[in-house]
Amino acid sequence: MTNDLLLILPQIVVLLTAIGSLVAEMMGSARGSLWTLVIGMVAASGVAVSKLGTVTTAFSNTFRVDYLSLWAVIMLCLTILLIAVMARSELKDTYREGTVYSLLIFSTLGALLLAGAGDIMFIVLGILIGTLAGTALIAYAKTDRATEGAFKYYIYGSVTSAVMLFGLTFWVGATGTTYLSALHDPGLGSAAAIFGFGALLVGIGYAGSLVPFHFWTPDAFEGAPVSIAAYLSVVPKVGAVFGLAQVARELPAEVLNWPLVVAAVAVLSMTFGNVVALWQDNVIRLLAYSTVAQAGYFIIGVVGIQQGGLAVNALVVFGIAYAVMNTGAFVVTQSCGPRLRDFNGLGKRHPAMAVGMTIFLLSLVGVPPLAGFAGKFLLFGTAIGSGYTWLAVAAIINSVISLAVYLRIIIPMFFSEPEEAPAAVKPGIRFVWITTFILTIGVGLGLQWFLV
Amino acid sequence: MPLLSITTFLPLLGALVILVLKPKNLKTTYGIGIGTSALAFISSVLIWLRGIDAGFSQVEQLSWIPSLGIAYRLGVDGISFPIVILTTFLFLTALIYSAKIEKRANTYVMLFLMLEMACLGVFMSLDLFLFYVFFEITLVGMYFIIAEWGHENSKQAALTFFLYTLLGSLFLLLAFLSLYIFSGTFDMRALIANPPLTGLAAALTFWGLFIAFAIKTPLVPVHTWLPAAHTEAPAAGSAILAGILLKLGAYGFIRFSLQMTPGAFQQFAPYVIVIAVVTALYGALVALAQTDIKRLVAYTSVNHMGYMMFGVAAAAALGAGTETPALDGATLQIISHGVVTGLLFLLVGALQDRTGTRDMDQMSGLLKTHPVLSGLFIVAAFASLGLPGLAHFPAEFQIFLGGFEVSPVATGFIILGLLITTAFYLRAIQRVFMGEASGGLEKVADLGPRELWAFIPLLAAIVLIGVYPDSLLSMINATTDLLGF
Repeated sequence: MTNDLLLILPQIVVLLTAIGSLVAEMMGSARGSLWTLVIGMVAASGVAVSKLGTVTTAFSNTFRVDYLSLWAVIMLCLTILLIAVMARSELKDTYREGTVYSLLIFSTLGALLLAGAGDIMFIVLGILIGTLAGTALIAYAKTDRATEGAFKYYIYGSVTSAVMLFGLTFWVGATGTTYLSALHDPGLGSAAAIFGFGALLVGIGYAGSLVPFHFWTPDAFEGAPVSIAAYLSVVPKVGAVFGLAQVARELPAEVLNWPLVVAAVAVLSMTFGNVVALWQDNVIRLLAYSTVAQAGYFIIGVVGIQQGGLAVNALVVFGIAYAVMNTGAFVVTQSCGPRLRDFNGLGKRHPAMAVGMTIFLLSLVGVPPLAGFAGKFLLFGTAIGSGYTWLAVAAIINSVISLAVYLRIIIPMFFSEPEEAPAAVKPGIRFVWITTFILTIGVGLGLQWFLV
Repeated sequence: MPLLSITTFLPLLGALVILVLKPKNLKTTYGIGIGTSALAFISSVLIWLRGIDAGFSQVEQLSWIPSLGIAYRLGVDGISFPIVILTTFLFLTALIYSAKIEKRANTYVMLFLMLEMACLGVFMSLDLFLFYVFFEITLVGMYFIIAEWGHENSKQAALTFFLYTLLGSLFLLLAFLSLYIFSGTFDMRALIANPPLTGLAAALTFWGLFIAFAIKTPLVPVHTWLPAAHTEAPAAGSAILAGILLKLGAYGFIRFSLQMTPGAFQQFAPYVIVIAVVTALYGALVALAQTDIKRLVAYTSVNHMGYMMFGVAAAAALGAGTETPALDGATLQIISHGVVTGLLFLLVGALQDRTGTRDMDQMSGLLKTHPVLSGLFIVAAFASLGLPGLAHFPAEFQIFLGGFEVSPVATGFIILGLLITTAFYLRAIQRVFMGEASGGLEKVADLGPRELWAFIPLLAAIVLIGVYPDSLLSMINATTDLLGF
């Protein structure tokens, strides 16, 4: 028991931080709430770093401590820290500001439970915690658009979770247990496998904004504060994809050709996201469709998860890269404004920040030696290594389309005249973009540190 | 001393110096730019003086990502080194030529130096991953150079260039991943010593490499990005694009397709020969129809890359173990095309500066008003059409000689290209330089010292390669002999 508790210490620290930051808010100190978050998140990721290399399970197989779940703690806790700084500069002194920090941590806990799920109930729990906290966060601004976005997020969340819960009962019925490891059985009935996996994809697809369960994404992103949109694009997605990987690792491919299904969803997401992003005029909506596309690349890592080796590395590295570069793109958008023409002449107003944004966007395309390239490099390697060369080809064609998408932001930055005088950049925003900028380059060059 | 790394990263150092100092006047900016690229050139000459072996020599190696077998590995052999020296040489002259550009000069020089670093890295890399990293950086640098400092429709042209070549380089990434997955290493020396692929995997990898390099080189029908990019880029940008960046594709065919998937290349060589012949003839015929002089030079690049491809494919068809001059010729053509077309694009830039147009119909009699510029252009044009004694002749002669062994018919067709090239160059020379001088240009000065400092060394190189090709050919030949060609 003590040993089990020690194994899930990072998650416990996250839970205690969430409570602590809520208590600080109740005592009327939003600042205290933020500092609790900062200290707690650094502590949790520190604990996770010290445990790296441990591969075991806790609480009789229900929770997995492995590369995926430990790296999830490190990358998500540090991302939430950056997002909290973004939220602070955006929502400072609004009513009940501290609840934002607390909710951010609670939802991170949901993603962490998904990433280490060894039991069906953790999958359900993880998605539910994420949905509830996310809804409250989107609605925080109390505008009409925020309410609409939150409403969509909540309704889609309830329906998809219900479908998922229903389908997953087939697995419990077929195996007689809720352990994911029980799925590792070639005798699993194919009907049960299909129902269960289909339903799981519905739930995971919602949380990770995969086509065709992505409909909430652009509206929720646009309605929510920009920092919350950044959170929605990173945290639930990493949790959902890692959760899917934990299930896919067990599911026998001979019963159900699930890699093909996942590959098909990947191609759909990439293509839909990139093509629709081509004609968005609102940068937040553009980035929303871009996250749909990036989710498509991300699950290529799941396709090859049973081949081991590259796949786990690919998931971890792409997760880190995505968290870093996407947060960077959102923070620059938060500073500039949501419309494409707000970026006009940024290269003249804030040359350094324009270079930073270019680096984030090129990293999203996958240009070396940036973080996004390291991730995609490993993902494409996984695809080829698992015999899915066509998936890799589809992914590279999509990368070319995505370059056209991101150039729509890069071109006005450098080749249009500024419409307004340069405004001062808030210190919080400067801290976040410079940190993510350094990491976007650093992760690409220092890839070795992130490999198993 | 790690001369290879020093040569590669000197330009980056120069760019960082500009970034930190932010010089206010043009002299300092270009002084730093020209100074560092001159140092890089000297450093590459020192590499030459240390001696270039037939196999990879002067290897510099550092551990980078050991879990995946990726390391920082640089080295040169008789095929890559001539291109390295071409790179440092052409960048130096291009920067000297650029020294009058006032628009955002600091950024311009920084981008050029970054581009030089990336190009040098590409040609010296002995690791697939490292190669790819440098390969992609060249795209980003060139995109901004074309888009910001180009002519009227430069943004559109730059976008086409970026999208097209990114598609190509992503296919390259797939091919590299497949080489890695079947061999477990990114070390190019190991992959060349024991080509790991056979059967379908080799065929797919070969075509992946082929698409990537065909877009870069470019070959018909994936050349369509080239005329726009060349025409819209600033003069020095066009010179680098044609002189160095196209060679990334040419070098790739020799280094990767020929050496890492030799079986598949031999199998598919007939198709490649057909593509090469079509490219050479198409480039020549379309050049014949141009009135824009820059577009004309751009299409001659397509034509010459057709010859180069023909040489490589002929060597591949014969297979290792058969002595053939074709590969020597193709490698020499990479160099000669670099200096000749580099000079031509810079001269077109000088021409446009003076006449304010690129339309040949609006120019005439320039020989009377600007004898030095016209004389240089005529010599460069003769070099480009393959006059003996100038750079292209020894290269093309060997290509055709080697090609004749493989396919006399294809060689016959491709020599037709030479005739057409001669025709359109003579017509262009007649239109632009002969006849009566159009009014108003007498007052515009002929070439100034800045331009001459850029043009004379290039001209000297053209004559040197033409008269004494053995200066490079002995080095190239040692390596091709070692490879069995």
